[in-house]
Amino acid sequence: MEEAVIKTTHLNVGYNKKTVISDIDLNALKGEVVCLLGPNGAGKSTILKTLSGLLAPLSGTAELDGEGINGIDKKSLSRRLSLVLTDGPVPAMTTVFDLVSMGRAPYTNFMGQLSDNDRRIIDAALAETGISGLRDRYVSELSDGEKQKAMIARAIVQEPEVIILDEPTGHLDIGYKVEVIRLLQKLSAEKQMTCILSLHDIDLALKGCKTIMLVNDGKISGMGAPEEIIKSGTFTELYHIKGGRYSELMGSVEIKAPLANDAFVAAGNGTGAVIYRSLARNGYGVVTGVVHENDKDHEVAAGVCSEMICEKAFEPISRGSAVKAEELALMQRFVIDSGFPVGGINAENIGLIKNIILKGKRVFSLRPVNESRRFFGELDSRIVHAGTVSELIQKIRSIF
Amino acid sequence: MLSRKTNTRYTVLFAAGGALLIMTFILSVMLGSVEISAAEIYGCFFTPDNVRSAHYSIIMDIRLPRTLAAIAGGAALAVSGVLLQNFFGNPIVEPYILGISSGSNLFLGIVILGGYTFGMKNISSMGMFIGSFIGAMAVMLAVIFVSQKVRSVTSLLIIGLMIGYVCSAVTSVLTVIADKERIMGFARTTMGSFAGFTWEQLKILCPVTAAFLAAAFLMSKDLNSMLLGEKYAQSMGVSVRAFRFCIVVVSSVLTAVVTAFAGAVSFIGLAVPHIVRIIFRTSDHRIVIPAAIIFGAVMAGLCDMGARLIMPPTELPLGAMTTIIGAPTAVYLLVSKNGER
Repeated sequence: MEEAVIKTTHLNVGYNKKTVISDIDLNALKGEVVCLLGPNGAGKSTILKTLSGLLAPLSGTAELDGEGINGIDKKSLSRRLSLVLTDGPVPAMTTVFDLVSMGRAPYTNFMGQLSDNDRRIIDAALAETGISGLRDRYVSELSDGEKQKAMIARAIVQEPEVIILDEPTGHLDIGYKVEVIRLLQKLSAEKQMTCILSLHDIDLALKGCKTIMLVNDGKISGMGAPEEIIKSGTFTELYHIKGGRYSELMGSVEIKAPLANDAFVAAGNGTGAVIYRSLARNGYGVVTGVVHENDKDHEVAAGVCSEMICEKAFEPISRGSAVKAEELALMQRFVIDSGFPVGGINAENIGLIKNIILKGKRVFSLRPVNESRRFFGELDSRIVHAGTVSELIQKIRSIF
Repeated sequence: MLSRKTNTRYTVLFAAGGALLIMTFILSVMLGSVEISAAEIYGCFFTPDNVRSAHYSIIMDIRLPRTLAAIAGGAALAVSGVLLQNFFGNPIVEPYILGISSGSNLFLGIVILGGYTFGMKNISSMGMFIGSFIGAMAVMLAVIFVSQKVRSVTSLLIIGLMIGYVCSAVTSVLTVIADKERIMGFARTTMGSFAGFTWEQLKILCPVTAAFLAAAFLMSKDLNSMLLGEKYAQSMGVSVRAFRFCIVVVSSVLTAVVTAFAGAVSFIGLAVPHIVRIIFRTSDHRIVIPAAIIFGAVMAGLCDMGARLIMPPTELPLGAMTTIIGAPTAVYLLVSKNGER
């Protein structure tokens, strides 16, 4: 078994004797990337502060290579562990090189004089983080992303075994976010640096970090490889998402439509997703059917729609489901045909729409007119057609 | 430091600053109600017998001590400003704004007036310095205490101003209830002035200033680490608590030693560090501290000269001169983004 670089046993962390998170057992191996996920105020920063020696453990142990982190003297700790924090003053009149060179402080002499070796290490870190070109720019002129890379370069030149990063992707655009994670992966793979970080981007964490630690309600609610600990619903629960649902499969969040009997969307094969979202955004209540459990629409509808009639994967739509869907549709003010492709197992949906038209409900459709005529024949004349989703919304608006 | 080009720039700027300082020094001794030639100054040191005795005593008893005091005092205040700005992570603080000078002045008043009350004829320069130091430390600690409760820059400024006002108010009450004649010299120092400096006072001012300026310079490396805030400093191996204590002591001593003999001199501690960072284009304390020493000395020397020479024979308050330069700097800093953390 590999030796842990950072190891905590029954660690309780908090401020002024008040425990924020209790019973943390972490084994971070050499070169491992461990990511803390959890809602604001869950105590991620408190854990990171304790691991970086800024805060003493309330009880239990936090060790770096078997030594209590809090007991290691600051000087030698600074050669083994470095930090990247969320905020902090931006020093005036300081170039990127100056900023990064601050990280050599644990190694330089009394007056902080840089040796040729120090300079080499600094230049290497600038190259590694891709900011060699910014070497002589002032830190105050950098974008958030560039600044963050400079701060990471500063942490690298401390040549630590462990880098602790508190929300290193906060304020960054998606391009920089990916870059920062890639950089950490590289440090872990090539330099065997252990990275312990907190993130707010679930998606990034699951795809970029080997180990995830879920922090919530004063405890660690799960720890391990993403595929082991993340199930459907994990994040909706972890972040107490109300009025929405996080889809672990899609890596995205859906916002619940208002609770109102407005629209029934007959959908399938992902044709419903944009319609659900658009209706919800425009303030309409949305229900859907009959959608197969293995359909992309199913995953989105689970988040947006207040009700959904579904069918088992790869099974033809059963009579029962069709009847339930029809009942549901008749309770709504109008019905939408998303223009889903029609095949053997979902042909029942066409029948469903026909019945609804016959019962006098207004039906809107995104299906091409000639195809619609083919399916609905005579009844097509009672359907309101729209070419795009926004046109559809406009037409709905003018009537409902 | 970085490249040869930067190195050359620093050399040129330091040389220019040095030349400016020497010029200020010579002019400050030469100019005044009695004009004195450079040759006479030279004469004072090497051929005292050839200098007219009236001029000799003007130079040796009045102008030289005053000039030396202005130069040493300016350097001390500027470096004190550098340290405080580092301590609070904020470019807008300095001894005067935080009320440290005023507190120092108040305790000085208490020592002087208390001394007279207890029948002492003269308060020794050392006694004045110690009183002043206690005042500076007391206010400094009070400001630090409050600044831990309120984090915002603006609140800190207001609190400093308030503490300053309170100290000034108490000082003025003391001035009124005390024997007028005896406190003449003291009352004047509330506006700050290098006039009437004696060699005895210089014997304290110069060595103390020199020692603590050197101490400040030796703290450069950790001061640099502190630029990113305490947490980073600690992660780079600085023992933050001990180091902060050092900053407090050194900056308080530097403020106190000036205030003891020259009163509360405003804004030098604010303007000089900022000007130095801009012209040297760095925040590296290994450059900023020596530069603040030179340019602080120059600024105080020039302001002192201005106070004497602009409307002779009336002597303008030194505080007015330094404020005219310092206040716009403060406003600029507040308005520009640099003022916010």
